[in-house]
Amino acid sequence: MRSASMPPAAGTGLEPGFRGVICASFGTGDTAKLHSDGQPKHDFRFDAATPEALSQLRSALGCSKVGVRLLLAGPTPDIRAAAAVAAECGLQQEEMTLLSEEAAPRAIYCPHCHSTTTTLRVAGSEVRCKGCGTNLTTTDHFSRRMGAYLGYQAHVEEAS
Amino acid sequence: MTVAALPISPHPAVDGGLQLEVTNVSPQTDSIVSITLADPSGRKLPSYVPGSHLVVQYGGEGVNAYSLTGSGNDPSEYTISVLRVEEGAGGSMAMHRLTAGDHVYVSRPRSAFAPASTATHHLLVAAGIGITPVLSHARAAADHGTTSSLIYVYRPGAGAHVDEARELLGPALTECSNRDSFQTVLTEQLTAQGVGTHLYVCGPIPFMDAVLDHARELGWPSARLHSEAFGAAELDEGEPFMVNLVRSGLRLEVPAGVSLLDTLEKAGKSVPNMCRKGICGECVLPVLRGVPQHRDLYLTDQEKAENTTMMCCVSRSEDPELELDL
Ligand code: FES
Ligand SMILES: [Zn+2]
Repeated sequence: MRSASMPPAAGTGLEPGFRGVICASFGTGDTAKLHSDGQPKHDFRFDAATPEALSQLRSALGCSKVGVRLLLAGPTPDIRAAAAVAAECGLQQEEMTLLSEEAAPRAIYCPHCHSTTTTLRVAGSEVRCKGCGTNLTTTDHFSRRMGAYLGYQAHVEEAS
Repeated sequence: MTVAALPISPHPAVDGGLQLEVTNVSPQTDSIVSITLADPSGRKLPSYVPGSHLVVQYGGEGVNAYSLTGSGNDPSEYTISVLRVEEGAGGSMAMHRLTAGDHVYVSRPRSAFAPASTATHHLLVAAGIGITPVLSHARAAADHGTTSSLIYVYRPGAGAHVDEARELLGPALTECSNRDSFQTVLTEQLTAQGVGTHLYVCGPIPFMDAVLDHARELGWPSARLHSEAFGAAELDEGEPFMVNLVRSGLRLEVPAGVSLLDTLEKAGKSVPNMCRKGICGECVLPVLRGVPQHRDLYLTDQEKAENTTMMCCVSRSEDPELELDL
């Protein structure tokens, strides 16, 4: 679904000063399933994270303003590449959601309060613990004892 | 030269620091003076990260923290600005009595309000004496060729460093003298920043809270928000909260206006402490659960965000209850 209210500007099709949600999907990735509220939205569809695709994303972020959110969907390598570009532009982890198409919802175990939080985000991204509010970095380590993936307390390190 | 102001021995909180001479005292406003300190033998002073503060010993045993206003790059002198607080613990009055030639013990500069290294623009917001650390940020940004802009709120006639800010920032400075014009400017600026911008705010706690809340409402995540609760602990008594001491099996109420440290001491728990002002780092406590309201100058932004430690002399709780490893 393309937002009709947005008059496309040259190059990116994005209105300067955009503070809504940029949805970028790669391959058969689909950003529709996560986005529901009525914020302004701009869709990009790419076959893969090619240099051209990434440079379009870069210029879209270049004319966006703080408040913007980025939703990435597709195969893990593509959305990781896109997330790295976004981080270079100054986007923070908390402003991005990565939807890996391989990923089914996963339960993340919190070592602080022992509750589990369900997320669609890929390993390595952050999720806020439902129990205690701690920012957890999700991992690929599945604990059979907990029946969940282990999370650890996220350190606010600069993305490189 | 009067050496009378130099106490017999340095306070533990400034131990390992420097002994400096006051080289200049100049009034900024009716209640704010700028004090310049230098090495008595003219040596260079340690460089510092923008937004750093200095712990200064006053009188025989008091210590206070003051923001350094310079860029921090290869300084030959340190300049701080001190607001006179009539009903304070006396530190600011003693500082206002300093004259050129006096000697003081100071700590090495400490950083707890550093600029984000990846930021491409700094949006600075200051109220009153909160101008001091953000002036340091603006100077350092200018030195590094990074841009910054400043919204400075002060009462007419009571603004410190206004001329320097004007010279440094030119059109990137917006001066506000009332709440309404400030709100308008703030909203404008918060919705017009590129994605490389970080925000830094310093001023009274209610002012900072309002700015940070407004930014969050407009979609700013906490990783972009930096604040310095400067001298704020003395001025705001805070909300009551409960603490659960897991190892001792005690549950205590910390009333408004009473510190967690005082509460623990009253219950017979001894916690190492020195400054009781959130400066020295002695009274650190491990937090097991709950989000502390950090009001100290000791922990870094990152340590504060981790919420696993707190300074119990000044910090309180965002949550109704904190669980401590004590
Ligand atoms: S006693 Fe110095 S930080 Fe708490
Ligand atoms: Zn938790």
